[in-house]
Amino acid sequence: MSEIDVSDIQGFSLKGYNFPRARYLLLELLESGPARDFVMRLLPDITTGERWEIDKKPMSTVNLAFTHRGLARLQLPVPSLLSFPVEFQQGMKARGDILYDTGKNGPEHWDEVWKDDRVHAWLAVNARTVEALEERCAAIERLMTETGGARLLQAQNACAINLDGQPSTKEHFGYTDGFGNPDFKGAERECVPGQGKLTADGRWEALATGEFLLGYADEAGELPVGPIPHLLGRNGTFMVYRKLHQNVGVFRNYLDEKGKLYGGGKEKLAAKFVGRWRDGTPIELSPDEPNADIVADKNRNTNFTYGGDPAGVRCPIGAHVRRVHPRDAFGFNGGLTNRRRIMRRGLPYGEYVPEGQPVRDEDERGIIFMALNASIFRQFEFVQQQWIEYGNDSHQGNDKEPLVGNHTGTGKFMVQGSTDPKNPPFICGGMPSFVELRGGDYFFIPSLTALAMIATGTVDPR
Amino acid sequence: MSNQSGQVYGLTILSPIIEDDGLDICHSMELRWYLGHLARDHESPFARISSTYLARLVVLDDVVYVGAPACEEHLKSRYLVFETNFDGDLDTYLTRMARETPEFVEMVWKHCIGYPGVTDTGAFVGYMKKCQIATTFFFADVNNRTVQQTLKALQTQSALAHFIEKYQGRPPAEIQSEFGALLRSMSDAPLPVAGGDEAERMPQENRPHE
Repeated sequence: MSEIDVSDIQGFSLKGYNFPRARYLLLELLESGPARDFVMRLLPDITTGERWEIDKKPMSTVNLAFTHRGLARLQLPVPSLLSFPVEFQQGMKARGDILYDTGKNGPEHWDEVWKDDRVHAWLAVNARTVEALEERCAAIERLMTETGGARLLQAQNACAINLDGQPSTKEHFGYTDGFGNPDFKGAERECVPGQGKLTADGRWEALATGEFLLGYADEAGELPVGPIPHLLGRNGTFMVYRKLHQNVGVFRNYLDEKGKLYGGGKEKLAAKFVGRWRDGTPIELSPDEPNADIVADKNRNTNFTYGGDPAGVRCPIGAHVRRVHPRDAFGFNGGLTNRRRIMRRGLPYGEYVPEGQPVRDEDERGIIFMALNASIFRQFEFVQQQWIEYGNDSHQGNDKEPLVGNHTGTGKFMVQGSTDPKNPPFICGGMPSFVELRGGDYFFIPSLTALAMIATGTVDPR
Repeated sequence: MSNQSGQVYGLTILSPIIEDDGLDICHSMELRWYLGHLARDHESPFARISSTYLARLVVLDDVVYVGAPACEEHLKSRYLVFETNFDGDLDTYLTRMARETPEFVEMVWKHCIGYPGVTDTGAFVGYMKKCQIATTFFFADVNNRTVQQTLKALQTQSALAHFIEKYQGRPPAEIQSEFGALLRSMSDAPLPVAGGDEAERMPQENRPHE
């Protein structure tokens, strides 16, 4: 097992906190001196990846990341700035053609905050209670005022959806979310079946650390491309931040309409879209009905492969989970997917509207999606472009991923089936966009060491 | 066997580019500029030669040794590399190039040593064959069907998917009658345009991951 220095790594880079509330503060950094002062004074509050002792779980966490423009504002030396991967230097907006962030997903439809390229920093506060969240954010805002180093452009709230008075892992379409995250060597938890990479004899083991953290060997046995000096990148990672608006009304209407035509019924069709029943049961494991026992068992709820279902009779070949993490679906024991993995973070935002109640798609509602990876180009951008917005690898032609694809009313999704009248083949056509992009960017999440170097102006590329 | 894979012919041609120190703009630069602005969609000259799967034109300036210790070595000339995979035999293909895309051929190969022009088709075919080298790698995404069969299959698949989407769950008699209409319309349908029409175009023209 690789040794990683968890006290030097931001906690957000290493694990999901599973706190019910978050506020993502999108900041403009002002003069470089005060901005560095702001980072310096924030440094003691940054949450690291150290394990929390029982009863010492904090009430809130703080994490900090920068866009390339932010690093320039902090006056990193030019050789260091130019040593970052090109896609990070360009930022997400400039990568729109590659990501297919066009039409209604184009920058002209994004939130105002993204329009002038002023977002320099992302400051995330995750909290266990509203009070803890407000208290921490107020302290940060005081620090911004005192140092004059940063200005708040947007405070993006996010919050787990409450069901029966308890925070849940549901998202607005009603699916239980947040099951799969790749395990990698050195991370806190042990490898969970289905979460890492497949071995030749069908077991699961952790991926190389360098797929998710800079400064460690990746699946090719090489160090991922990172900035110079090495210490600036080591223990850091890259983050993709995307605010994904969900057209819940459009989704529910579409599902109602097609669910009436589909022999398996509406709920099964919903399960076919994602590859999981809405309670989270993988349809590959339980094709006919949800199974709460499987959902509750971490050794089973992500432990499946597609080798026994090449025709997509149980899980459609174009279903969400099969596209974004194809496991063994392309052969070679999953070897073609191990370098295309991303870690996901995020929470829903906006008010949840229960099924059967009127819902307005104009209202703010969706998910703050964040992907962490060592190479945005090789990992996130590949998945987005080739597996979500294009169907060739999964032999689905031009069909996009059904749930988050940029469909614009002409999308198509093939549900493979069998002679079982409850599991017939079915084609969904005329698909609207259920999800729309409302903004985002590429960020670098530095290590604690790198944050200190940035704050003290001691990044030395020589 | 080199040059032939199933019914697909793989052609690789290296044409030496003219060196002329007296020119303001050298041949290779003019050629590079022309190729850089050539249409890559349905307006490509290769869309007119309907048996083409894939074609690629590259100006090969030199080969550079990458490694240590550095080693300086050079090609004898700059070359135009022309690679194409197509259905049918070589003579027919080269003859079609000369007859169906003469302006394009002229604009490209006029920069090359020994090019005899395009009006004498036999001379052009002979010249191209003289520059040919063996092809052993082929465009992978071909399943031994002709370009036309592939286009027709894609068109049929797309029409059938739309049909199923529209009529799934309808009474059998209606499906049967509409399916008859679909078959008739399919047999009369013109083939899709090579290079793709606007509606069916791939999501990105510029896909760096492929």
